[in-house]
Amino acid sequence: MNPISRRSLLKGTGALALGTLALPGIVRAQSKELVIGCAGSHTAWMEQIVAPHMRETIGAEILFEGTKSSVNLEKMASNRSNPYLSVVQMDDPVMIQAVEEELLRPMDQSAVPNLANLRDGTIHMDGMWANYVQPWAGIAYNTNAREGVDSWSALWSEEAKGRVIIPSLQNTEGMWTLFAAAMLATGKPFAEAQYETDAAFAKLEELKPNVLTTYSIMSQAFNLLEQGEITMLSGNFSSYTLPRKAEGVPVDLAAPSEGIFAMPSGICLVKGGPNPELAEAYVNEMLGADLQAKIAEFASSVPANTKVDAGAIVPSGVPIHSPDWSFVTSNRREWIERFDKLMAG
Amino acid sequence: MTELRHAISGTPPRPIRSPIDKIALLAAPGLLYLAVLYAIPLLLLLLQSFRSEDGGITLDAYTSFFAESYNLEVLLRTLRVAFLTTLLSLAIAYPTAIAMNRAKGVWLTVFLVAMVLPMSLGVVVKAFAWSILFRSNGALNQTMEFIGLIDAPIRMLFTETALVVGAANVFLPFMVLPIYAVLRQQDEALQHAAASLGAGPIFRFFNVSLPLTLPGIVAGAAFVFSMSISMYVIPSLIVGETQQTLPMLIARSFLYLRNEQLGSTISAILLIIAIVVVLSSSFLAARLGAKE
Repeated sequence: MNPISRRSLLKGTGALALGTLALPGIVRAQSKELVIGCAGSHTAWMEQIVAPHMRETIGAEILFEGTKSSVNLEKMASNRSNPYLSVVQMDDPVMIQAVEEELLRPMDQSAVPNLANLRDGTIHMDGMWANYVQPWAGIAYNTNAREGVDSWSALWSEEAKGRVIIPSLQNTEGMWTLFAAAMLATGKPFAEAQYETDAAFAKLEELKPNVLTTYSIMSQAFNLLEQGEITMLSGNFSSYTLPRKAEGVPVDLAAPSEGIFAMPSGICLVKGGPNPELAEAYVNEMLGADLQAKIAEFASSVPANTKVDAGAIVPSGVPIHSPDWSFVTSNRREWIERFDKLMAG
Repeated sequence: MTELRHAISGTPPRPIRSPIDKIALLAAPGLLYLAVLYAIPLLLLLLQSFRSEDGGITLDAYTSFFAESYNLEVLLRTLRVAFLTTLLSLAIAYPTAIAMNRAKGVWLTVFLVAMVLPMSLGVVVKAFAWSILFRSNGALNQTMEFIGLIDAPIRMLFTETALVVGAANVFLPFMVLPIYAVLRQQDEALQHAAASLGAGPIFRFFNVSLPLTLPGIVAGAAFVFSMSISMYVIPSLIVGETQQTLPMLIARSFLYLRNEQLGSTISAILLIIAIVVVLSSSFLAARLGAKE
């Protein structure tokens, strides 16, 4: 048996390293598939509803990477020169950042005909992205502990001491507690109160004794709500709470009298992403009446397509607020730092 | 001819040394892998932390990091949690390793499986399990109330204590196994010799067993401390965002603040701490090994 020469060992090592790095790409290139970045909390219905639908209609295998919008943004920015995501579904404020960083490819009706059927205000920045569904956000509560939540001020009540969890401002749903604090602190309507940041943070400071923790990973916090360790989870949304309620878990989503918030779930094409035509077909299907009806029902959300009946998904009698996202985007980094320092234990 | 000269002079022939040890080449795949996927990106990260806006070199990111009291608070918390996790792991691991060393046959297998099997369980699952135990109506509070230690449930969830306990649970095998490995190498005759000279069990432990296991303790402590200061998922799940640690600040910098320089700076600080710990422990282990 010939001894292994130094040269052949080095060659073998190089080939092994190259093979290890290149293998996923080689395997991926062999099939007709799309990699989609989406919200972690959406993965369940994306896999149950969207994946089979896309296999049937556009003949593509869909790989979902479920994570937070900001993580999707980082993935797009880090792979700018060689994107592997074709389509990304994320929140509006992060979409604005993606547009600023020139990571998106605009959509038009010639490639995505269903854009013509969307409700007013769902297509943004000349087709850079569109909202495909709109869950609504309020306060999730444990039905064994409370009968409901009439006002956002319930979060500040004495009985809620240590029994409340609020989202970090790193998460888009974290903004709702901040805006509710602004409304309560100033007494102004939402349209004006959303710009009163200092008053909002001062009010948030008063909430600290009631806050068990703040989260950036929601599943743990929601589990504690289900188990009754906390009584209220601020800023939660219909696409997460209501399916759990339907499964018989003792939780519900309250629509406080000061108003609820429209969660902005957007869909966009990644600039330079693989399989561009297939990606357009995917977006078109996501905005089509058939899939929109299924998603809206499964995720208890308002459909974007006007041909689909919104039903009684959104509670009546309370205002629905939609913030000035450009103001949020331009201030969010400073708010995150301020929030973390304020809430530090 | 050379051999003949050696035969005449009576000196043994010197082995001809290759400039590269062939056996050392076996490490090449591992080294290449680490260089490409770890060392080079780390170097780029380090350079990024010194880069100024105009492309020059600056220490501004470091000075502004240390000028912020919140960052110092997070740094101290990270070190404190890592230290306490290491201490708790050691307190649990040492007796476990002794018991493992005494165990024979099927019991030894049980111990080893009990150490290794939980490592296959995800950190997320363990963190969820701890959050159930730590709840106000969880098993820990109920047990303490039952035995009269407390009158009413105390808050354990989302506290630093919970984090230390949870982290020690995850990292325990990394402390037990190095100590066990050192104990296995100890000659039992040493204990008998010490006993025959009149040394009691406590004297034997502090003057014979403990000094001989110090290299294992140092290695285990280095493992656990390094993993504790860099853990991200465990604190995210067990204490949330109200008690941030350095890795959580790194994630926040890159993902939410989109401030790569700040993220790189904190990563570099974490790296320096890890290097100091690893080098100190190697030095200590070498010194302790030499004393043996």
